[in-house]
Amino acid sequence: MTSTTIEAVRLTKQYDGRTAVEDVSFSASQGEIIGLLGPNGAGKTTTIRLLTTVLQPTRGEFSIAGYPSTSSAEIRRCVGVLPESSGYPAHQTGAEYLRFYARLYGLSRSQARGLSAELLTAVGLEDRGQSRISTYSRGMRQRLGIARAMINDPVVVFLDEPTLGLDPAGQAQVLNIIRGIAKARDATVVLSTHLLPEVEEVCSKVVILHNGRVLVSGSVGEVIKTALIEQSAQLRVPLDLVERARNVLAGFPGLTIKQTAEQPELLVLAVDRPGTDSAHREVMNEVLAAVTAAGIPVLRFELEGARLSDAFLKMTSRGVT
Amino acid sequence: MTIQVAPPAVGTVQGVRAGAERQSRLLVVAEQECRDLWTSGRGLILLFLFSVLLSGVTYLTSTNQALNFLEQRESVNLVLQFAVAVGVLATLVVSADGISGERERGTLETLLVTPVPRRSIIGGKLIAALSLWFATFLVSIPYVWVLARGVGILGRALALGFCVGTLVAIGLGSIGLLISAACNSNKTSIAASIFLLLILFAPTQLPSGLPQGWFFEVLLRANPVASGLAYISSILVEGHGWTQDLALLITPLLTAIIAGGALILAGPRLVRLTRGVNSE
Repeated sequence: MTSTTIEAVRLTKQYDGRTAVEDVSFSASQGEIIGLLGPNGAGKTTTIRLLTTVLQPTRGEFSIAGYPSTSSAEIRRCVGVLPESSGYPAHQTGAEYLRFYARLYGLSRSQARGLSAELLTAVGLEDRGQSRISTYSRGMRQRLGIARAMINDPVVVFLDEPTLGLDPAGQAQVLNIIRGIAKARDATVVLSTHLLPEVEEVCSKVVILHNGRVLVSGSVGEVIKTALIEQSAQLRVPLDLVERARNVLAGFPGLTIKQTAEQPELLVLAVDRPGTDSAHREVMNEVLAAVTAAGIPVLRFELEGARLSDAFLKMTSRGVT
Repeated sequence: MTIQVAPPAVGTVQGVRAGAERQSRLLVVAEQECRDLWTSGRGLILLFLFSVLLSGVTYLTSTNQALNFLEQRESVNLVLQFAVAVGVLATLVVSADGISGERERGTLETLLVTPVPRRSIIGGKLIAALSLWFATFLVSIPYVWVLARGVGILGRALALGFCVGTLVAIGLGSIGLLISAACNSNKTSIAASIFLLLILFAPTQLPSGLPQGWFFEVLLRANPVASGLAYISSILVEGHGWTQDLALLITPLLTAIIAGGALILAGPRLVRLTRGVNSE
């Protein structure tokens, strides 16, 4: 049975009259990966700092693993955090760094040694554990930071921009580790990031913040649906076959075809009354089948409006649900 | 490829909980801070500079003594006062880096999200800063020994230097940490601390031939560094007893108690991501 690990109710934080976050409410359960999204300055880092007791909320309350916000020491014992732009002591080795944090959680020297070796292996740094952190690449430092966040076997792990500044390979490595944390440890992972395709891939739930407020929260599908994005498709065919393609498409009732002078070979297709997502996809599949059956080579066919990035951009640009 | 991050063994988890009750996190922080100070090279560089300066001062003092410009007791007093003053300066510089340095390097937040009480963080940093004072004192022992041979004041000089220096180092180390907590920038923190120390050292640099009225006396007694050094001088040079000028130690003692107390009481509100007690 999964239990609720995060419960935030109307969290508000004000600094010198400026509101950083306002009425932020959401919940998360064991084993879930929550994507905390929002443009720069939306309040993601402040929300994480509030939930990890680094900052005190001006209003509102929250609980982590059942502990109320007033039990900050208990909360810190059961959370792991990778802060945004976390610094590392350059002269220490990765193993020394982890051993120190393990001892802060009460482990003996020998337990700390064993755990640091185990975590270095888990994040793929077993060969570099005895090297100074100053020799680590950014990706290695981020993985070391994730290992540190796991040192107390946390119930909830907060990762603030863990993929920031990493190359695609580094991003993939970090995301794999995040998946592993949620799966093997059954921990809740709160992931603050700008990598929307990856969020779509790994997160079971999404919270979009804008100007310190929650715009929308729910599963990726629910968020996309809330955005009420006009669903369409882009069809690209050879220029000399565009007219033939238009004739084929004319046979579909309610299908609108748009064409621009700049890209005459590109047809933008929209269904007047698509109904559900699956109904829309079904119509588009039939369109694609008809075009190919007519012997028209399809150079590109892409469904628009079904991605989290579309929903995110639409919602954060208009700022309301 | 999905990397499997397996949970630690049950025994380890139990060890975390049971061990958390037992271990003093203050000592863990202090140990790490000391390691950082000494293995990063910062402590060793300061110690090396201290020993170079002390060698120079000892050489000048011993030549003055050979030329009969200084008495042997005065030579010992001069070198000991220098050792205490510079040792305390080094302690202040290290403690001034304690909180603001961590903020600048981005390492404070990771400490703040651990269950370590903030008083333990600040206490560990003070212990590490004091380790530099103890190291400078150890380095100065052979110098004092060389100068104090034959007049029978070696033991008294070392005990005096250790007691007075430790008292002043605790006070100024605590002040350094308080300044560090109040500054967002490390440069500001260190500059403010050194400026404070220069003000405190100023009375000790006044020529001894100047008329010394009540104002000078107040200035001397209100200043923890100057009054501490004056106490050393009264015993080593003037041959006073340990209790005769004990009043000179009131200011160093009060500074240590007030600054240390402020650090302990206000510590949890001071160790924050940004400076100031109301910032969060």
